[in-house]
Amino acid sequence: MALCGAAAAQSGADWTTYHGSHASWHHSTLNQITPGNAKDLELKWVWQAQSLEKFETTPLVVNGVMYLTEPPNTIVALDPTTGREYWTYQHALPDVTYPCCGKVNRGVAIADGMLYMGTLDMKLIALSATTGQKRWETVVGEFRKGYALTHAPLIVNNLVIVGTAGGELGIRGFIAAYDAKTGKEAWRFKTIPEPGEPGNETWGGDSWKHGGGSIWLTGSYDPSLNLTYWGIGNPGPDWNPTVRPGDNLYSDSVVALDAATGKLKWHFQFTPHDEWDWDAVQTPVLVDGDWKGKSRKLMLWANRNGFYYVLDRATGEFLHGVPFVKQTWAERLDAKGRPVKSPGRGPSAKGTLTFPGVQGGTNWFAPSYSPVTKYFYLSAWDDYSSLYFSWDQPYEQGKWYAGGGVKSDVPSTRRERLNRRDPASGYGAIRALRWDTGEKVWEYKMTDVSESGLLTTASNVLFSGNREGHFFALNAADGSLLWRIYLGGQGAASPITYSVDGKQYVSVANGHSMFTFALRDSAR
Amino acid sequence: MRNVTRPRCGLLYTSAIVTKSLLLMFACALSAMPQHSSVKLSNPFQTPQDRLEGAATFRSQCASCHGADGKGGHGGSDLTRGQFKYAVSEDAMFRIVGSGIPGTAMPGFALSGQQTWQVVAYIYSLAPAHGSGVGDAKRGEQLVTVNQCMRCHAADAPDLAVAARHRSRSELRQSILEPAASVAPEYWSWRGTLRGGKVLEGRRLNEDTFSVQVMDREGRLRTIDKGELTSSNVEPRSAMPSFAGKLNVKDLDDVLAYLESLRGGKQ
Repeated sequence: MALCGAAAAQSGADWTTYHGSHASWHHSTLNQITPGNAKDLELKWVWQAQSLEKFETTPLVVNGVMYLTEPPNTIVALDPTTGREYWTYQHALPDVTYPCCGKVNRGVAIADGMLYMGTLDMKLIALSATTGQKRWETVVGEFRKGYALTHAPLIVNNLVIVGTAGGELGIRGFIAAYDAKTGKEAWRFKTIPEPGEPGNETWGGDSWKHGGGSIWLTGSYDPSLNLTYWGIGNPGPDWNPTVRPGDNLYSDSVVALDAATGKLKWHFQFTPHDEWDWDAVQTPVLVDGDWKGKSRKLMLWANRNGFYYVLDRATGEFLHGVPFVKQTWAERLDAKGRPVKSPGRGPSAKGTLTFPGVQGGTNWFAPSYSPVTKYFYLSAWDDYSSLYFSWDQPYEQGKWYAGGGVKSDVPSTRRERLNRRDPASGYGAIRALRWDTGEKVWEYKMTDVSESGLLTTASNVLFSGNREGHFFALNAADGSLLWRIYLGGQGAASPITYSVDGKQYVSVANGHSMFTFALRDSAR
Repeated sequence: MRNVTRPRCGLLYTSAIVTKSLLLMFACALSAMPQHSSVKLSNPFQTPQDRLEGAATFRSQCASCHGADGKGGHGGSDLTRGQFKYAVSEDAMFRIVGSGIPGTAMPGFALSGQQTWQVVAYIYSLAPAHGSGVGDAKRGEQLVTVNQCMRCHAADAPDLAVAARHRSRSELRQSILEPAASVAPEYWSWRGTLRGGKVLEGRRLNEDTFSVQVMDREGRLRTIDKGELTSSNVEPRSAMPSFAGKLNVKDLDDVLAYLESLRGGKQ
């Protein structure tokens, strides 16, 4: 695979963006930690949160400072070699905000000495990265109507881009860009088109008004095309699809937007007329490679619906799609990548058993692409199903609007002792796939499922964790276990790696703490 | 929050939202309130109609996670047991519905005070009733002793009061007559073979990729490295013997009456 712009697609000494680079590889050129010495990793420091909210932050390390977010909306600046705090910035929230699934925040963005954070009360805040003093604050939307910002912003050129959560609260989603210096809105893309806009015809009646289409994970950016890519969430109400006849664009799609104007260049919908809550909220992984003898700009995507896709990211053309976990909802994908649905797999009053379950074959936790192995790595939930229920539900502002429910043996997020379910009800696995065919090369099977993201390095070390409470290193070439430590909490974030004064560190949020590891000094 | 005096007359939380400080506005004047510092806030909305309204709100706002029947499912816990991990009182449940539970997927809901109380009333109505009135609980207790039920139920088998809270009368009847018909996964039998051939048996308490935590048949708590096992499995086998044919109809009614009396809560 020939790689163009590979250097910019990887992370180096600093970890400067949520996904490690604009191409979102979650891959680092650092190579001090190797399959040979990973056994000599040791704990260097722990930073403990005071909040008991779910800790989903991915920290950044820039110019010798680590920035992380403590839920709900506090930024902490600390020394990445010792964990000692420099300062904290606490955003005062109203007593009630409207995140669907916990008062979480996944991280900040940084550029030109400024830090940016979206908040649960729909504000975008800019601070000095040195002092933590607020520079500006902009209201992005109306939180009382079910809107919230939970993901790390994406900075593209002079713009800070964020999108809104709220897919279970009858919102109408959008992605908006703000001038990084002033906070002035530059453009806004509505993920659910209104009457008169192309795509509105895919929503029966007035259903577009509360059609969901939320954004809760950071997108990617290709400077060569000046396109920014975002995965869009489920249509609403989640499990009562009869009230929203049609494909429901642009729910469950990836959209390619002109970074300067926010204009839609193309879209690809993974799950038209979604009946299961399978948000396309995954990381758009951008690679350049040979496709049938022709060099193309590609996008690799393991979707919550259980299929792995290869798309042309300049045009949105579907090139390849194949299931990567057990699925029973689609007979196949057609030549354009549109699923041919299996009959009778949608939700029902009495419940319909469908694979994958509601959290999907994978979800928001980061995959990784390594230019060394040329494998696409992901955390999969396999042999996993849910019973999907449907019922009528009227829309009411600021209230839950899901039109149904789900039962699964495997809890969606909660960590519990693993003796309360049948071992046959699903398992987690780290998998390496051939990037072009989606074929499984190896897997590292786990007893429980995992919400931890992945990180790979140039020295073929893969780091991840899981819901069991472990954090571990695998050999990226063959999936063999190199090192592990029990941290005791749920891993629901992505590890990062960085280097300070020639020493490589690995950090990950687990439970309610940030843990940082490096090789024993004698082992380097 | 300290227990504060709560009015019994026409109480309403006027805010749609319960704030951290529980800012209340009372429909009657503060000076007119009875002054009992330990009185807990009781639910002013618990008529049958309130429970019906609460059921409707529950279905639209709570059932996606807690299940249409309240028995849990998509991340939400089972709310039909009359005992709750976080909500130690109706008062606490009122606050939780409004504010959520930190660190869990349970969000706060923007319901009016009346709607919130109605949901609380409905959830409490899901708990199994204290008893059906059928059977002699005292005699049932004697039968439990005579049949040596506590030899296991005071040790590894489910605590009888917990079992009674988690099951309806018909489910309890089935557990006594056909214990194998439905065994909760946490009571499945675990069996592992160590390198060298030694077989261990017990109940699986926990498990991860590398180890399994069991209570063995001698009642010891053990962690076993999966690397030491050549094989292992858990099966929905129950260690409970069937009492079909050993208890007559009256005996069974009396035992069930005793079990129901252990539930506590509503009389």
